[in-house]
Amino acid sequence: MRGGRVESLQFLLIIFFSPLLQGFIKKIKALSQGRVGPGILQPYYDLIRLFKKDMVISETASWIFHAAPFVTFVSVLAASVITPVFSLQGGIFKAGDIIAIIYTLALGRFFMALAGLDAGTGFGGEGSSREATLAIIVEPVLIMAIFTAAIAGGSTSLSILSRSANIFRSPAHVLAFAAFYVALIAETGRVPVDNPDTHLELTMIHEGMVLEYSGPYLALMEWAHFMKQMLLFTIALDLFFPFGMQGGSTALGLAPAPGIYLIKVFIMGVAVALTESTRAKMRFFQLPSLLGGAFVLALLSVITLIMLGG
Amino acid sequence: MNPANEIHKKLTEGEFREEAAMLFDNGNPLMLMFCVDEREIGGGFTVYAVFSLKGEDLFMVLSFPVTEKSGRFAYKSITPLVPAAHWYEREIRDMFGIEPLGHPDPRPLVLHGMYPDNLHPLRRDVTVEQIRSRIDLEREDNYNFVKVEGEGVCEIPVGPVHAGIIEPGHFRFSAVGESIYFLDPRLFYTHKGVEKHFERIGFERGAALAERVSGCSSFAHSTAYCLAVERMAGVEIPEKAKAIRTLLLELERIYNHIGDIGNMCAGTGFAVGYQSGALIKEKLMRLNASLTGSRYLRGVNALGGVSRDVLEKADEILFTLDEVTTEYKDFMELLTGSVSHMERLDGAGVLSMDIARKLGATGIAARGSGINQDMRTVHKHLMYDSVVFEAHSRGKGDVLARMMVRADEAECSFSIIESILKEPYPGPLAAGIKGFPALSSALGYVEGPRGSVFYFVKTNDKGEPLRVKVRSASFCNWPLMPFAVRGNIIPDFPLVNKSFNLSYSGSDM
Repeated sequence: MRGGRVESLQFLLIIFFSPLLQGFIKKIKALSQGRVGPGILQPYYDLIRLFKKDMVISETASWIFHAAPFVTFVSVLAASVITPVFSLQGGIFKAGDIIAIIYTLALGRFFMALAGLDAGTGFGGEGSSREATLAIIVEPVLIMAIFTAAIAGGSTSLSILSRSANIFRSPAHVLAFAAFYVALIAETGRVPVDNPDTHLELTMIHEGMVLEYSGPYLALMEWAHFMKQMLLFTIALDLFFPFGMQGGSTALGLAPAPGIYLIKVFIMGVAVALTESTRAKMRFFQLPSLLGGAFVLALLSVITLIMLGG
Repeated sequence: MNPANEIHKKLTEGEFREEAAMLFDNGNPLMLMFCVDEREIGGGFTVYAVFSLKGEDLFMVLSFPVTEKSGRFAYKSITPLVPAAHWYEREIRDMFGIEPLGHPDPRPLVLHGMYPDNLHPLRRDVTVEQIRSRIDLEREDNYNFVKVEGEGVCEIPVGPVHAGIIEPGHFRFSAVGESIYFLDPRLFYTHKGVEKHFERIGFERGAALAERVSGCSSFAHSTAYCLAVERMAGVEIPEKAKAIRTLLLELERIYNHIGDIGNMCAGTGFAVGYQSGALIKEKLMRLNASLTGSRYLRGVNALGGVSRDVLEKADEILFTLDEVTTEYKDFMELLTGSVSHMERLDGAGVLSMDIARKLGATGIAARGSGINQDMRTVHKHLMYDSVVFEAHSRGKGDVLARMMVRADEAECSFSIIESILKEPYPGPLAAGIKGFPALSSALGYVEGPRGSVFYFVKTNDKGEPLRVKVRSASFCNWPLMPFAVRGNIIPDFPLVNKSFNLSYSGSDM
């Protein structure tokens, strides 16, 4: 088997393992809170259940409401396809520009926020407004953190960056990773930014936007959210912990790479779960200070990098 | 004859107004206000107002007969003078058809649109069948929510059906961005007609009904009811019954307070705190189940005393409390040590002392705002005259203050229970009650987990219930909510709401 072909299919890992990652994070959270919690396969059961259900759709909903689940899902999917997951081989990664990836994700977010408004409920509107507010502060953090890696690696292509990067090869990378981690928490809708487990509509951000969805549409939205989470983990790993990624094209060299990748992703899952369990959600208007802090970290990392001379 | 600590004054409408305003202005809180349909015992509609006299174990019960003017019952509202009367007067208007002239809020309180006009359920000549046959579920509800107009004002309706397992209530927020400018709550979606039902079932079965008024205040309600009937019948309950009632009241307080403190963590999204609180609450509720056969302490209170000797299981109580005390200390350390959690509580949902006093706040809501009022110390009942404890209050009026009052009180309850269990209580569990005197009345009261719970019972000429008035803590505290959330941001509302932990069932009487 020729290497390149298998590797172009590595995004399938994100599609099919992302619910498992979600289930895993939930399990870790449950255990750290002294609960048994649902089994780690629960997200799969939930998706299957939702796909089988009928939908209830608001009378005021326009085509945006119908299109959003597909746009969101496809945008995450498209971003996944061009992201190196465990192998750097494959022609498609030439398109894998990190900025393209981030803004492909933003397209999904844009439609999700529109859909939240579209159904005409107060909670959806609140969720959308908060999501948009957050996006304005999160995006610069994400981009700044990425720039550190990009300047150091001399490219914005993820596959080139991953090839060149070693773990924390400069102090700048440590700062950039810290900033990226905060942005990742915000992007995945987790405590202290958002609370994915809440039933309190008035406090919701991501959950508020998808509150009006049901059945297969909701399944798509949820699945896209799981994938986005795993994709962001993957980007973090590509940028900051690329060890174990398969660089050559031999089938033999390929064998351990997916395993190493999954181990890395799940370790990150543990970190996220513990972060989430050990603190309370922040007051909404204090989020800018958290994210602003992260932005300063990211900015510092770029400056450090330039001063240390890459 | 009235119980010794009740001073009854029969006044005219004008005197009533003056006297009520004077008492209230001098800092004597209005405890409850209600109407009794006394037409069958040779009177008319009589409005009562009960004030607790400051610093004394005395209740001033003022009353006046409402006069009929051309077929209409009306009197001059006392709300402009005694703001704490506002919900009571609206309730009386709905339930008896007596108009408080000049009341600032002309909207109905209890009755929703489906309810027929000009049918006032608590009038004695209105039957339940009559009400049932005339209710029209299709009829539109034209409630005038307060409208806030202006640029950027956004109206957000929430409820009455909520996520999670809670009862119905509608909240109409007027927000500017994320800031709450005004909140107009609407409750009484599941009004149960408890007071009417009390009149139909007789005193004996009343205790079982009282403990179903509000789930987690079951024991407070049944105790207040039993005390009212016992006081009216002039029955002194045995020491043992007093000890058991006090003990169970405190157990109810502990499980509620710890559960509430844990629930606040759900409001801030602090999962570990929430689960720890739930775990301790569960242990206490299992203790309840083991002691009484009911997790909500039901089926113990009976007229004249109690039906179960809970003290037989003193060892089990002490053992569980010992375990819980340690866990509770760790739990509080976890919470107070969590900067992110405490940060959210501090300064959120401030209820000023002035508003709390004017609107007649009770319990945690009052004590969090610096009003140190506790039935257990002001009107000592049961064993509270012999156990040593302190009433706690905090001055800031924010969510944190309410949490800390709960924490202090829970610790206090632990020591109250311990000191009760030190003494032996020989003697019977209950005293017999030989009939109920005709044309008598009495108040019954306890300090429940949320605040004071009041019952007023009155008999007709045959010694049957003429009126059973229930006043739960939540009825007093719900109107405070709009004041506490003003200026807060919308995502903080659930947290502020949880810090009051008001009962829907407790007000949907």
